[in-house]
Amino acid sequence: MKIENQGQCLSISEIPELTAVNSANFRDEVRAVLPGSPSVIEIDLSQTRFVDSSGLGALFALYRATAQRNGVILRLLNPRPEIQQLLELTQMQQLFEIVRR
Amino acid sequence: MSTLQLARHATLRLVFAPDLSSARAAAATIRRFLAEQGVPEKELFSYELCVAEAAYNAIAHAEGAARELAPVAEALFTSDQVELRVTDHTAGFILPERLPPPPPLAEHGRGLFIIQSAMDEVRYLRGTKENILIMRKRRRANQPPIAGGEPGSNRNLSLEESRQQLTESESVRAGLAGELSFRSETLSAIFRCCAELGRSDVLAEDFGQRLLVDLFHLTTADWCVLRLLSHDGRALVVAAASEPELNLGPLTLPLAGEEPHGIVATVAMTQTAARFDLREDSDHNEPLRTIGPEATGLVCPLVFGGTLVGTLAVGRRDGGFPLGKLQDEVVRVFAEFLAIQTVNLRHHKEEVRNRMFARELEIAQEIQHLLLPRTLPQLEGFGLAGGWQSAREVGGDFYDALAVDVQSLFLMVADVMGKGVPAALFAATMRGLLRGLAARSDDPAEILGGLNRLLYAELSAVNMFITAQVVHVDLQTRQMTAASAGHCPLLYVPPGRHNVVALATQGLPIGVLPDTVYRSATARLGDPATLLLYTDGLTDTRNTEGKLFGQRRLMGWLSANAIAGHTANELRDRLATELNRFRGSAEMDDDQAFLLLTEARAGEVRAAESGRQRFQFQRGSFLFPANS
Repeated sequence: MKIENQGQCLSISEIPELTAVNSANFRDEVRAVLPGSPSVIEIDLSQTRFVDSSGLGALFALYRATAQRNGVILRLLNPRPEIQQLLELTQMQQLFEIVRR
Repeated sequence: MSTLQLARHATLRLVFAPDLSSARAAAATIRRFLAEQGVPEKELFSYELCVAEAAYNAIAHAEGAARELAPVAEALFTSDQVELRVTDHTAGFILPERLPPPPPLAEHGRGLFIIQSAMDEVRYLRGTKENILIMRKRRRANQPPIAGGEPGSNRNLSLEESRQQLTESESVRAGLAGELSFRSETLSAIFRCCAELGRSDVLAEDFGQRLLVDLFHLTTADWCVLRLLSHDGRALVVAAASEPELNLGPLTLPLAGEEPHGIVATVAMTQTAARFDLREDSDHNEPLRTIGPEATGLVCPLVFGGTLVGTLAVGRRDGGFPLGKLQDEVVRVFAEFLAIQTVNLRHHKEEVRNRMFARELEIAQEIQHLLLPRTLPQLEGFGLAGGWQSAREVGGDFYDALAVDVQSLFLMVADVMGKGVPAALFAATMRGLLRGLAARSDDPAEILGGLNRLLYAELSAVNMFITAQVVHVDLQTRQMTAASAGHCPLLYVPPGRHNVVALATQGLPIGVLPDTVYRSATARLGDPATLLLYTDGLTDTRNTEGKLFGQRRLMGWLSANAIAGHTANELRDRLATELNRFRGSAEMDDDQAFLLLTEARAGEVRAAESGRQRFQFQRGSFLFPANS
């Protein structure tokens, strides 16, 4: 997993999977860089092959941690179709901007 | 192998360590397995996800020692369906029909919702030790069959090629059947081992459930009902079922000459396995319809040594039970093992019961040991002998003799109404009390009165009573004082007479009224002295013609034998022989006890010295204490 801080944008990428096994770790690492007050958080899911309910839970935790700060944009980049389906199924797409580029 | 594609199904079973990484790895392995079967990439994600979610739940909800138990993940691939199963060791949960989507702001609780959304059918089978979550997804029929099978490869085959493929497919199938039989053999070895260790003592629960899991796995079934023949052999009772709603009532078997109704009854009566498909069965009263209108499957008889033990019915609700040699073989092998197992188990239970019964008898006999005097007091110039025989292994009759001093003694005989261990326990209590009371009074009437006061409450509480005869004998004066609590008279030879007379005293049995007053009667013993105390089991002895031995016959016998000058031991042996001779082969239906006092002769001393007999507990034979 790679975390880059590009000014106001916090970019998280190279996540092979987000599951019960690594979601706690993901949460902790992202939380550690939140005090930098980014205005955009981009999670690049293009390399992510698998997400389970714990992974969704970790994404949700991130949403909650940033929800108090007005104006923070949460963006999920290029999720695979099956993962996008999962996000839609669980109505998580309401919380995130899903962006393809 | 390519020719087998359409008929093929493949299974994978993974037992994984109870931690999240292993659960995750199991889900990934199942994905790879399904990919190998040609399941398209876009479907694989949801299968992997469902296994992962179910596996996490299996770990997260396990409690206590069950946390150490390994969950199982299975995948079952057929050309028209993917079935995933996860076996957990949790307390289980109630699976709702259809979960609503959790609110987007909820952090947890998406797992089951995801599974139900991704799969066509989700079932949760709850067992006593483990549960199985079954998840099914039908595959579209027009999908290209399997990886490796090039589309169109079956076209344009020559007849010869088709034949060859058919032969190949048959041999592969036979190989698979062999492999599965071998696996069943292994299971049977485990079962047998379990039975030998006495671990599978609850057939209906542990064993039945374990069996179901294995049977499901091997046959791709989704329901199963094991019925065992009831003890009276007239009905088949459900011993194990895959779901509680299949735990139906007993199935009464037809009597001789009646037509069996229904598939299971027919299988039981003909002892022949039968396949069934309810979609083609016109009988609307078929009992198997409770499983589902489209159920298909196989019913096998459980037969051991030509005798019906039960039935095993197995199949699928959705009509998809594969009717192949393979299934036939596996279910038949299971049914065979189950029959053996059931018979083994019954033998085992019987053995345990017999062992327990034998132990109970041992205890009862130990009580009886305590009840009868091990030795009888021997007073200068007189002989004393007692005999006892019980209709059962333990009884309520007893006798006792207690030396007061060098010239006087107490003799007593009692009969506790009732038989078996409770009677023996009262007898033991009474014997102790008698000994205590005799130490404080020389008057038998007083002793019986005291005994009644002490025992009344206990005896009346259980509606029991005791008849007893207590005699104090002064050997010097030949004076005897007797009192009776509802007991039969004592017999003796008065001075100057040769024939026996009865001394009957009145008195209520002990335990009838709280404050009965007893009266003593006195009499003198003749020379030589002959005295017999007995219980009514002697006079009530019946022979094969139903005739009673009776008091008259007993008196006649004693008169004849007393004058013959036998020692106490000789007389006792003769009386025992006489009673048994009279009874012949008739059932003994009451306990017998007696106590004999005679005047000692020269030979008596020798008999006493050599007379240290051991107790012999045998039904229908008299038991004698040693002389001391």
